[in-house]
Formats: sequence, structure tokens, C-alpha cells
Amino acid sequence: MQQQPPSPAPSSKLLRLAVAGAALLVVAGGVAFYLASAKLAGQSAGNAILVTIKDGACTPNDITVPAGRSTFKIVNESDRALEWEILDGVMVVEERENIVPGFSQTMEAKLRAGDYEITCGLLSSPRGSLHVTPSAESDAEAARPSVSAFIGPLAELQVFLVTQVNTLAKASKALDEAVKAGDLDGARAAYQAARVPYKAIEPMADMFADLHNMIDPVADYLEKREADPAFTGFHRLEYGLFAQNSTDGLAPVADRLVADIATLKDRLRGLRIPPEQIAKGSARLMRMLGENRIASGHDHYSQTDLADFSANLDGVTRMMALLRPVAIEANAAAVADIEKTTAEMAGALAALRGSDGFPAYAAVAADDRQALAGKARAVGDSIGKLNAALGLE
Amino acid sequence: MKPSRILSTSLFAFAVLAGSSGARAEVSPLDLVGPIADYKIYVSENLEKLVADTRQFTDAVKAGDLDKAKSLFGSTRMSYEAIEPIAELFSDLDASIDSRADDHEKAEKDPGFTGFHRIEYGLFAENSTKDLAPFADKLMADVTDLNKRITDLTLPPEKVVGGAAVLMEEVAATKISGEEDRYSHTDLWDFKANFDGSRKIFDLVRPLIEKDEGDFITKVSANFDKVDETLGKYKTAEGYELYDKLSEDDRAVLAAAVNTLAEDLSTLRGKLGLN
Repeated sequence: MQQQPPSPAPSSKLLRLAVAGAALLVVAGGVAFYLASAKLAGQSAGNAILVTIKDGACTPNDITVPAGRSTFKIVNESDRALEWEILDGVMVVEERENIVPGFSQTMEAKLRAGDYEITCGLLSSPRGSLHVTPSAESDAEAARPSVSAFIGPLAELQVFLVTQVNTLAKASKALDEAVKAGDLDGARAAYQAARVPYKAIEPMADMFADLHNMIDPVADYLEKREADPAFTGFHRLEYGLFAQNSTDGLAPVADRLVADIATLKDRLRGLRIPPEQIAKGSARLMRMLGENRIASGHDHYSQTDLADFSANLDGVTRMMALLRPVAIEANAAAVADIEKTTAEMAGALAALRGSDGFPAYAAVAADDRQALAGKARAVGDSIGKLNAALGLE
Repeated sequence: MKPSRILSTSLFAFAVLAGSSGARAEVSPLDLVGPIADYKIYVSENLEKLVADTRQFTDAVKAGDLDKAKSLFGSTRMSYEAIEPIAELFSDLDASIDSRADDHEKAEKDPGFTGFHRIEYGLFAENSTKDLAPFADKLMADVTDLNKRITDLTLPPEKVVGGAAVLMEEVAATKISGEEDRYSHTDLWDFKANFDGSRKIFDLVRPLIEKDEGDFITKVSANFDKVDETLGKYKTAEGYELYDKLSEDDRAVLAAAVNTLAEDLSTLRGKLGLN
């Protein structure tokens, strides 16, 4: 409950004047506001680095600052309005637009160590250099990134999950339709297509134990195996399509899969994933592959295990790529280790792939399975160290 | 109207007051993940439309269909203008897609003057599609490249949230004058897209501050509504009236709203803990 403090009513004449005055200020203030707000940062920050632009050149033209926050005061002594930018390669790090001739603007930038360029007038004007040297403060911040540093990667993860689960939803509907049409070949193809996005997001999707047990249970773990009423989802369909060579009786199973995937989609959309969950989920899945799944296989009827493992690895690799910009600053060696192990597992899978894709899993020799399992464990172990390297555990 | 130093100083004092009330709401960084993800999807949808629209537009230019090319110019730009805070993060593409003649030493005659405004110059100032094909091809290639680069880009959260104000500041500082689309006078199309892009960002983060910043939200929403209402008067079957049809009164209304929006939205980053 909030209460407004009582205030005396101002005289209406005064109020009219005040309103008129305020309106005048607002209407007139176009460019002025912009300049004023730009000046604000500099005034509060104190020691600004002065950069004067005249005749298509910056003075000074070669600036060195320590990593962290710096304030620049840009003075336009040329005869046309200009914008000033700090560039990291082609990327704009910070910019101020419309600096009017004879005026200055102040800009604050938080910079990481490295070499940057500054613009000096027209697009064709030669650029100046800005060197940002490491500082103790910025090194410490990079080694222990704040939660804010993960907003970007987590948002991209959210986009990835939404995109994949949309593909999955579409593919599961196609599977449902093919099953209902009694189209065995079509249903088999649709089954494969739906597995790929599911396996790609498995490190996150399998956090929902209830859904996971309905979407992806394996007969091996059920009391009555294929005859068990809890044998539902992908593998139940796989059993019908590839072992019984028929779509008979699969329509209710396919309907339920479509419904469960719709639920998964809803849950993923609203999911609040803490940063440590990315590496945790990825490491857990890859270790599970290494310790058990690659040895035994899960796709007993379709024999498409290698495609599943490949999609798992693709998903995990994507998730690691999202963390990379933050992780590389904190611990470059940990990132290099993950990139090495994932590349090695990708290489092992590629070596098993023939010209028509992956062979039936029964044809993959025990030695090859063992080697692949070792690579998966190595991926899991390298990712398992990431959270500690990021200060997340 | 030229800004005077006195006016600039009084507004500066005002900005200090406005800025100091910003930092009380506590927003968890993780609350921003959903809005940033949704914004990336919004950006992707706009890029998809930009690529498709640019293809139609550049095809018309290359086919020598002057009327069709002219009619597509305003609408094609809208999906670019809506996502400008992100689109302009790549300085090379920003220059080749959307630079104005003033950014180049020899203005319209400069060989580095390419992109939308170079084609606009040909279509509307020279009234011809002659010699525009290479610019059309270049624009198509650049837009395709932009789409790919942004797809791969992890959006910096402070650029997204700051983008709401940036869009309004750009309108205030360099667009309300009608200098952006000076040959075609399709500025109102750009404005509409800039406002929509800014409002999208505001709407996405709004639930995070709804509880603590009710007055702020009411004020900003009212200004967005005022802009929409004013622009709505100039809506035509195809899009918007030419900029010279904008009445002085409505221009003043827009200028006031855009300045207030720029000022208010510049506090968003602080309110969301992103400074």
C-alpha cells in the first residue's frame, strides 16, 4: 500500500506557466538534450581523454588506456557533423553520433584489453589506434565473470532451444501423420528427422524427468520390456516401425509423443537456466554416453545410434560455443581442452560414417565402440571442469 | 532550430535529476535472459523479411522498373530501421548499407557512397534506374551477409536495452529534420519502424520493472501511444505520406515525444542493472 504525501495545490496561473515552460524546453531541446546527456557521463567520470577531430584526423591519433572504464571527450573542430566510434575489427564497441561542429561530446566505454581502432571524421578518413592494456581489475573480473556476463550466452541458448524444439514439434507432427496414413517408409524417415533435434537439446530436455520418461524410455529399463505399458515415446514407435515393420497400433503412441513434445516446448520456453547448468548438463550427458550408452546402444530396432550420438555432440558443441566468449577470457586452457576433445569425438564419428551416412549400429565393432566411448568420456571430463574454471562452483 | 548553450545547460541539469532516480529497482541478471532471447527472435524475423524485401526491391531496380522500385523503397527499409541498434553494430556493413552522402568526401559522387541511400538518390533524385544494378547487387549481398553475421552474434544485453533509447536519440538528433530520406521523403516509414523497434525493446523488459516503476511505464507508454496516434494520421494504403505532408504542429508533437522518450528510455539500462 502506498500513500501519496499531501501537497498544496499550486495556483493555476503558476501551473500554466510551468507547463508552458516545460513544453518549450521539451520542444526546443532536440539536439540539446542529446548533447546534454552525452556530457553527463564525462562530468561525473572526471579525467576524460581528449580527442580532437579536425581535417579528417584525430589528435592524438594513438591512445593507450588501461582495461576497464575510460571516458573520452571528443571535440569536433571540423566543419561538418560527425560520429565517433571505437571499433574492434568491424564491430562497433561504442559510438557517439551527430557531434555538431564546434561542439564536444563525452562518452564512457568499458573496454577489454586488446587493440582497437577509432574513427576520425568521414568514412574515408584514416583511423587512429586505441591500445587497451591489461589491468589487475579487468583480469580479476574476466577470471570470475559475473552472472551478467552470462545473459548473452543464456539468451542464445534459449533461442537455440526454441528453434530446435520448434523443429522437433514439426517433425513429430509429420511422424504422427505418416503413422496415421499407414505410410511405413514415410514414418521411418520422419522418425529419424525427429530424433535429431531431440538429441541436440537432450542436455536440457532430460532435466524434465517426467517428460523424458515418456518421450525417450528404453525397453531395457522397463520391467516387461517391450510389453510394458510404460514403454512409450520414440522407442515404442521405433519398435513398431523397425522391428514389427508396421504402423499398426502406433497412432495413440504418436499422438501422445506430439502432446509430450508440446509440453516440452512450453516448459523450455519459460525455463530459467542458471549459467552452471549448461556445462553441468552437457558433461553429464557425454559421460553417460561414455560410460554406458555407446557400449549398449539405445536404438535396438532402427540401429541408428551413431546418428543420435552425433546429434548429441552437435548440441553440446553448440552450447560450448555459446559459452566460449566468456570462458576464453576466464580460462583459455579449459576452452582449448574442450575444443580438442569435442573435435576428437567428431573425428571418430566422421571416421565411422560411410558414403550413405552412418552404418547400422550392429555393424560397429566392439573396439570402435570402446574407442568412441573413450572420446565421449574425455568430452564429458573436459566440460566437467569448466564450471570450476569459470568460478561457477 | 539551433541549440543554445544556455538551453543545453538547463537540460543538462534536468538530466542529472532524472538520472539519479534510476538505480533502485533490483532486477536479477537472469531475468533478462528471456527478453534478450525474445529480442533475438524479433531481430531474426526482421532480418528474414529484410532479405526477402531487399530481393524484390533490387530485382525491380535491376529490371529497370522505376515505379516499382520507388514504391518498394520505403517498405523495404522498415525491417532494417526497426533493428538498427543491432544492425549498426557492424561498422563496415552499416557504412555500405545505410550511409548518407554526407558521410563521404565527395557526397553523392563519391564511389564509396553505396547502399539504400545511393539507390534512393538514383531513383528519386535522378529519376532513373540507370547504372544502379551494381549498387543493387552490392546491397543484396550486404543484407545477406548482415543476416548471417547477426544470426551468429550473441547480442550484447546492454546494446539491446540501450537500443530503445538509441533509436529515439537518432530520430531526435539526425532524422526529425528529414535528412535521412532526403531524396524520397519516405522518412515517416523509417520513423514508424524506429518507434516500433524501440517499443519492442521496452515491451520486452517492461514486466521486469512493472512493480517498481509504474509511473515510468505509464509515461513512456503514453508517449509511444502519442507517436503512434500522430503517425497514424499519415497512414496511406501503401504506407505513409511523404515527409513534407507532416504539419508543423504534428512535427512539434513528434519532436517533443521523441525527446522525452529518448530521455526516459536512456534510464532503462540503469534500471535493469546493465550500466
